[in-house]
Amino acid sequence: MIEVQNLHKSFGAQKVLRGIDLRLDKGKVLVIIGPSGSGKTTLLRCFNLLEQPDIGTLRVGEIVLDFKEGFKPKQEQILKLRKQSGMVFQAYHLFPHMTAAGNVMEGLITVQKKNKAEARRVSLELLERVGLGNKADSYPHMLSGGQQQRVGIARAMAVNPEVLLFDEPTSALDPELVGEVLRVMKSLASSGMTMIVVTHEMKFAAEVADRIILMDSGRIIEEGSPQEVFQNPKSPRAAQFLNILTENK
Amino acid sequence: MDERKVQILMDSLLPLLKAAVAFTVPLTLTSFALGLVLAVITALVRLSHWRIGRLVARFYVWIIRGTPLLLQLFIIFFGLPSIGIILDPFIASVIGFSLSVGAYGSEIVRAAIQSISAGQWEAAYSIGMTRSQALRRIILPQAARVSVPPLANAFISLVKDTSLAASITYVEMFRTAQEIVAITFEPLLLYSEAGVLYLMLSTLLSGLQNFLERRLSRYTTR
Ligand SMILES: Nc1ncnc2c1ncn2[C@@H]1O[C@H](COP(=O)(O)OP(=O)(O)O)[C@@H](O)[C@H]1O
Ligand SMILES: [Mg+2]
Repeated sequence: MIEVQNLHKSFGAQKVLRGIDLRLDKGKVLVIIGPSGSGKTTLLRCFNLLEQPDIGTLRVGEIVLDFKEGFKPKQEQILKLRKQSGMVFQAYHLFPHMTAAGNVMEGLITVQKKNKAEARRVSLELLERVGLGNKADSYPHMLSGGQQQRVGIARAMAVNPEVLLFDEPTSALDPELVGEVLRVMKSLASSGMTMIVVTHEMKFAAEVADRIILMDSGRIIEEGSPQEVFQNPKSPRAAQFLNILTENK
Repeated sequence: MDERKVQILMDSLLPLLKAAVAFTVPLTLTSFALGLVLAVITALVRLSHWRIGRLVARFYVWIIRGTPLLLQLFIIFFGLPSIGIILDPFIASVIGFSLSVGAYGSEIVRAAIQSISAGQWEAAYSIGMTRSQALRRIILPQAARVSVPPLANAFISLVKDTSLAASITYVEMFRTAQEIVAITFEPLLLYSEAGVLYLMLSTLLSGLQNFLERRLSRYTTR
């Protein structure tokens, strides 16, 4: 289970998150939407402490951290929390000097200290699962964007995280490559993976999300099932944003 | 060209080559290897959170880059004896050149590490790595690739700079040429001959650099 309470984060004087509360049960999919600059990426990065919240309670799986002024989590706590989640980046960030299998094996070998044969076996299984069983020994630059992102997903899954975090995983992709990545994500969702996805793929959100939150200026301004949020937004600001999204489609 | 000159050229070739192989090359290789280790350590300290270490590293780079190499060699070889540290010419040269490679090299390595995108660090952290694991497994291998061309330049410069060791009595190739000039009175001939040999050495190294770059570019992004 994932939970945040009253999460605040500023960069200098700029308040980027202003009191976020949310809760996600195991096996559920949460989609986060909202205008650019509303704090979606920052919120997602707080879940694995790539950003450190200023104030608020963060719970991922077993690990609970209570942030307040003067609190700095210990290295050991940070590592523990990071092991609870896997992250898929907008720009993939694959390790260019390693093959697809190498990318997936890296966490297993370096972090989990598994032996090479075992790591290789797991990585091939995962690559198979994202439809890239035949690309195990290709280097990232030999792969299309869609394939790279699927390797990114396999890499994030390798350390067997409690939750997968996706930050606009398809927005760097050519339109014809978006589908293959979304299909993989859908199959993960239906296999019971807990996921938090920042995306503007409305069709995906409507089909896969258990819950949607809409962020604006560091706050959650709309929250509910896809049905509730898309059909009946409560605030005018949310209605306006959803309008723009659907018009652009 | 008269016969005598041809004879001098031929006679000096072997001693010059010997000096190159027995003295110039070992001095270059030893200094570069030690210098490289020093460069990586200095770069890592400068990028660390360790304040005093950072200060010391900056001071070191400042001193070495801000003073002539020849003067540094003189201090080590002629200066240190007055405080009781007497070094043989080879050791003194290795110390001088290693410190130099370490300082210039640290800037190269630091720039290379900083050129690796923050995304690589974040991806490494996101799969649970510590800072040192991320450095060792993800950042340094990529930084190594970036720093091959500038480090190769430093290496080629070093081959030529080792001629400065002649002035602290280390009999490498240049000093050997000087000694032959002292007997034959043919400076143009001998220094040109030594020049050709240096040229061959650095050309060989450039070839090696190209080979290394090609090997390392097997995996490049975009
Ligand atoms: N590391 C950072 N330093 C300073 N400002 C940042 C940093 N990261 C994000 N911001 C700012 O925080 C705001 C929210 O950014 P972000 O979370 O990336 O929004 P979103 O993902 O919704 O577009 C933006 O105004 C952005 O400029
Ligand atoms: Mg974003």
